[in-house]
Amino acid sequence: MLQVRNGEGEMLGVLFERYHAPLSNLYSRIMGNRTASEDLVQEVFLRILRYRQSYQPGTPFRPWIYQIARNARIDLLRKTPQRQVAFEPEMVPPVVPQDSAQQAQEADLLHRALMQLPEEKREVLILARFQELKYEEIAALLGCELNTVKTRIHRALQELRKVFRQLEQGLGAPGCGPAAPNIPLRRQEQ
Amino acid sequence: MNCEEIAELLPDYLRGTLAPAQLRMVEQDIEQHIEQHIQHCAECRDDVAIWKKLSLLPAEQPSAAAQGRVDALVEAYQAGRADGRASVAERKHAPSRWTFDWLRSPLPGLAFGLALLAIGMVAGTYTSRMAGPRSDDLAAVRSELTGMRQLVVLSMLQQQSASERLQGVSFSQHDLQAADPKIVAALLHTLRYDSSVDVRLAALDALGRHSGQQQVRAGVTDALQYQQSPLVQVALIDQLVEWREPGLTERLREFQQSADLNPAVRQRAQWALNKLNRD
Repeated sequence: MLQVRNGEGEMLGVLFERYHAPLSNLYSRIMGNRTASEDLVQEVFLRILRYRQSYQPGTPFRPWIYQIARNARIDLLRKTPQRQVAFEPEMVPPVVPQDSAQQAQEADLLHRALMQLPEEKREVLILARFQELKYEEIAALLGCELNTVKTRIHRALQELRKVFRQLEQGLGAPGCGPAAPNIPLRRQEQ
Repeated sequence: MNCEEIAELLPDYLRGTLAPAQLRMVEQDIEQHIEQHIQHCAECRDDVAIWKKLSLLPAEQPSAAAQGRVDALVEAYQAGRADGRASVAERKHAPSRWTFDWLRSPLPGLAFGLALLAIGMVAGTYTSRMAGPRSDDLAAVRSELTGMRQLVVLSMLQQQSASERLQGVSFSQHDLQAADPKIVAALLHTLRYDSSVDVRLAALDALGRHSGQQQVRAGVTDALQYQQSPLVQVALIDQLVEWREPGLTERLREFQQSADLNPAVRQRAQWALNKLNRD
């Protein structure tokens, strides 16, 4: 990043390649909207270029880029709040192990359960589970205490478990988040 | 251990980051306690199970289209750097609107700094001595300070060093509730002629805060056709889309037809047109 900050463009491709997939996944899982996710990743890379002078040499780069990513998403939600509850059936996990219909169904349910959590809980859970950020870094990113992050993760996990069980039993959505989209469970597409 | 105690430890247990100091136990002991509890508590066991189950969610790969856009952005950036270097020579021929060239020499610069310090001290002493300052006196001091700030910003935007010009742009945004016309004009000039892409982008950001002014919106809109750096072109498109300037669709269509437009910029213009049509 230091080289990019100093205007050496050659490292830019390497940097973007390293963060493209993690950021795409982060946005897809939080927002459930692939088009918006891809636009946002592009926006993050643009912001990195625009604000590269604000990166402090010697400080960890990962939290810096995640802060930019979070700000970009918040800005998008502020401008178009309706996207917050957007749900695209296409976002249901597209790739599943070929020999396991049950796993495909579980992944499908899990995705739907995740999308029913309030965004705050979904965000902290996804940051903790899928991104290589320490809890301290997540706390700094969200602007809260370390213990608060751990408490939120635990509560998010409890709620996810409850929603998942209810979906599994065909009981529909509980009283939180947007209503469960009425879409059929997708099996693996050969 | 009960569920409450487990809840505190579970996030670290799940990621394998349990710290032995947490319970004055060695790590294996804590893990053992948690696992014993999990065996007997269905809810906590389910929490662990759902965490593990999350691995079923597949990692997506960016689509080819998204990858193409990012590649184009990298190319655009590199083209922009080359453009920036080339435009240093051009900048020397850019029309100058400055009347503070004398500030570039070290001695007058130092004198100017000392004058600023003196004015600051006089203003400070003046205001602190007055037990109950009259509002018109305070307004006069404030006006004087605003004038000095304006002078400093204008001189900083004239500096040879890009980082000092960047500071000038940053300084222009301090405490300016209403945009000063001279500073706005200087920022618009910077946006159009500065040799550094970074400074031009910073000027655009600063101008973005004064979107209520017609002069700003018109200046930023006009800047699009003169801008050569793909990165700045993209930033300008984003800003104009945010402002929803009347007639923007037509302008973007015209801009998109430019013969030597960078592919990433062309894509961004198309994205902007789609967005304007969609919203």
